[in-house]
Amino acid sequence: MSVQLEPRPPRLTVGPAPRRRTPSHNLTRTSGIGLGLTMAWFSLLVLIPLAAVVATAAAGGPDGFWRAVTNEQTAAAIRITVLAALSVTLVNVVMGTMIAWVLVRDRFPGKALLEMVIDIPFALPTIVAGLVLLSLYGNDSPLGLQLANTGWSVYLAFLFVTLPFVVRMVQPVLEELDQEVEEAAASLGASRLTTFRRIVLPALAPAIAAGAALSFARAVGEYGSLVLLSGNLPFESEVTSVRILSAIENDNRATAAAIATLLLVISLLVIVVLDVVQRRVARRG
Amino acid sequence: MSIDITGVSKRYGDFVALEGIDLSLPRGQLTALLGPSGGGKTTLLRIIAGLETPDTGSVVIEGKDATRLPVQKRNVGFVFQHYAAFKHLSVARNVAFGLEIRTHGGLRPPWTPQKRAGRERIQAKVEELLALVHLSQFADRLPSQLSGGQRQRMALARALAIEPTVLLLDEPFGALDAKVRKELRDWLRRLHDEVHVTTVFVTHDQEEALEVADEIVVVNQGRIEQVGTPDELYDDPANDFVMGFLGETTTLGGVVLRPHDIEVDRGPGRAGAQEAVVVRVLRVGFEVRVSAETVAGEQVTVSMTRTHAKALQVEEGATLWLSPAVGAATVPSMPVRLRDGVGA
Amino acid sequence: MAERTRPAPGPTTYVLRVLVITYLVLLVIWPVSLVVTNTFANGDEALRSILEDPDLVDALRLTAVAAVVATAINTVFGVTVSLLLVRTVFPGKRILSALLDLPLSVSPIVVGLALVLVYGGRNGWFGPTLEGAGLQVIFSTPGIIMATAFVSLPLVIREVVPVLQELGDEQEQAARSLGASGRQTFWRITLPSIKWAVVYGVVLTMARSLGEFGAVKVVSGNVLGETRTATLAVEEKYLNFDQEGAYAIAFLLASVSVLAIVVVSLLRSREAHR
Repeated sequence: MSVQLEPRPPRLTVGPAPRRRTPSHNLTRTSGIGLGLTMAWFSLLVLIPLAAVVATAAAGGPDGFWRAVTNEQTAAAIRITVLAALSVTLVNVVMGTMIAWVLVRDRFPGKALLEMVIDIPFALPTIVAGLVLLSLYGNDSPLGLQLANTGWSVYLAFLFVTLPFVVRMVQPVLEELDQEVEEAAASLGASRLTTFRRIVLPALAPAIAAGAALSFARAVGEYGSLVLLSGNLPFESEVTSVRILSAIENDNRATAAAIATLLLVISLLVIVVLDVVQRRVARRG
Repeated sequence: MSIDITGVSKRYGDFVALEGIDLSLPRGQLTALLGPSGGGKTTLLRIIAGLETPDTGSVVIEGKDATRLPVQKRNVGFVFQHYAAFKHLSVARNVAFGLEIRTHGGLRPPWTPQKRAGRERIQAKVEELLALVHLSQFADRLPSQLSGGQRQRMALARALAIEPTVLLLDEPFGALDAKVRKELRDWLRRLHDEVHVTTVFVTHDQEEALEVADEIVVVNQGRIEQVGTPDELYDDPANDFVMGFLGETTTLGGVVLRPHDIEVDRGPGRAGAQEAVVVRVLRVGFEVRVSAETVAGEQVTVSMTRTHAKALQVEEGATLWLSPAVGAATVPSMPVRLRDGVGA
Repeated sequence: MAERTRPAPGPTTYVLRVLVITYLVLLVIWPVSLVVTNTFANGDEALRSILEDPDLVDALRLTAVAAVVATAINTVFGVTVSLLLVRTVFPGKRILSALLDLPLSVSPIVVGLALVLVYGGRNGWFGPTLEGAGLQVIFSTPGIIMATAFVSLPLVIREVVPVLQELGDEQEQAARSLGASGRQTFWRITLPSIKWAVVYGVVLTMARSLGEFGAVKVVSGNVLGETRTATLAVEEKYLNFDQEGAYAIAFLLASVSVLAIVVVSLLRSREAHR
């Protein structure tokens, strides 16, 4: 991975010894064996199969790859997926931060219940998530909102499955945030909005970015919740995962692998963003 | 000798933690490793314990070469700075840990006589140790329910349970408040007189070292500055670092000495007396601290009793003649030396 | 931070509160409660008919087996990897720790495809060899277990690593200084200290494993009574216009997930009070 990190600050040569208590020892024999076994399993389960996807896509050559991802129906699916994932991520950045704020700073009866509600989309099987959404936004919607089998269903499903990410990243940071700093800003004459914008938001930004990256990655690869909800209408509600699946079912592995590689690149980018953000936060202390 | 250290060096990357340490500690002695933080004293203690391995040199414990021996085979009792209490085990189980590890009941089931005998032996020993550290009534509590001082005593009992060849304590009172610290200090001294195991403890507090230790090893910047009894160190410091670390110092006429070892007169008379003008007078309880500047431009701090200062009519702007007291401990001043951590 | 008295909530507080509650009601609370009411529209008949259908019982059993095995594997793997990441130094550690998060952001369909490309019986990289040795992975239980293990791989690690870091290694050093071997230190000191983190990880892994759909769909082949899991059965029932059946299975799966969340949050708050 070619992540260009900022140079570390130079270490002082005089002064207290660097306390390198953890990790305190190099690999012993037992941990060497442990590392070997776990790496073997990780390779067999994750790394080799993902490499196979990329290798299969590469075997078709750049032309094959290009043809696979620019196929009219596939390109439309990619466009729909990315557009919906981006919009939903944006909504999550705003709503997720708001939800985290309410959960941490507000107090009212039933808050504990909301706390649990946030985790439901993560724990619920995706196929059940689709079914759940159908019950309110399907054909006999009690709200009169029939979103099933329309382009909106994609947005709805993404919103549901990505709900926890920003909330759960921002919440602990907000809890740790020293309220005295905000009070200090207020004492210096800052309005509540200014305090939020100038003091709180910069502190939350890395967590929001990490949550947004995770929620984008999740949305781009989403499949299960859409199966029953979206109707998989080409050019309207068919997403990238569905295109990969139909290529697999037609035994067209090169095409499937090409589209899958595109998704993998997005996943990798997200991992890189997360790594960089987390390191920056760690350095800030 | 109980512990013999020869030519030990340790680096972390570019940082030299210890350089060519030679040290011999006799059996049954209570030794303090004293020095500023980052000076290498904790690293030395951890090397004796086997928690770190030296890059060069050897460690011999009770005549056996222990340099390559892992910590679990050295039979040392180590008391960690933050106690390292096993949070999930009761006080009694914490103390019993080392004994349980050592019980070789083999694979016999727990109800066999051998196993029961082992259990009873451990229980008796734990009770004895808890009585020794005055924690008998807390045997069934969790460490989180103890105060800092009690936790420290539990850690000590736990280390003593394995009947260690040497007992090592890393800043044993560092995390405690001043009052508890003083109590525990006296108590450790008495305990050592009772148990008489070779003991080494690390501290950055000179008062603690002077009060408790039989012998003090002053460690600074990876080197040993001086080894000696508290009196030797105080009366005959090897250099201005040791002198400065053990108490307040000032300079007068190119030598370093203690502020209370300066004779003060209102007129010239004594041989070698220097003329100085009082810049500031600070009264702290029974003591008066006088800052003065000599004609040579040296800043000198003098401490005297209130009565003495009154008698001499010491006030700002007054002229005094200052000279080292007879028999005062002095060392030549070396102004370029780093004095990090003095008085910490 | 809760000790201090705060200024009375202003209008912004109420607006935010109402907005957040409305959003969550529309997106999660109302739809989920509808699944419950739909399931019990005809009393417990729907649930009973599910549990009396032998094919569905098979599907539930397969789901349970795959989830238990995958969770067991991921627990052992996760605890080992966490210890290695936090307590030892080795080259490539940083890349490994980043890659371990990959399964969380890879599409389930891609996971399935990846496994098929390597372990597929006809033209996978290793598949034909393995089948020659009598081990069929894809379209069989091992494939379902692997897909399940893949998607839930990082969950134990994510729970255990921060706890290990926070814990430090002083207690372990103390145990070793008292004569404990590596194994004794692990079982008597390390494991009891990270016990709750492991439990959270296991519960989350289990919930995730029971509900995996996309990856399992690709590798299972959906053979009735053999490689059909509970989540696949939901889809099939719904597409066959057996809405009631679909809701009933969904209810079963959802109640397990919700139970998992409740267990985890109870454990967490208990832990916070300690």
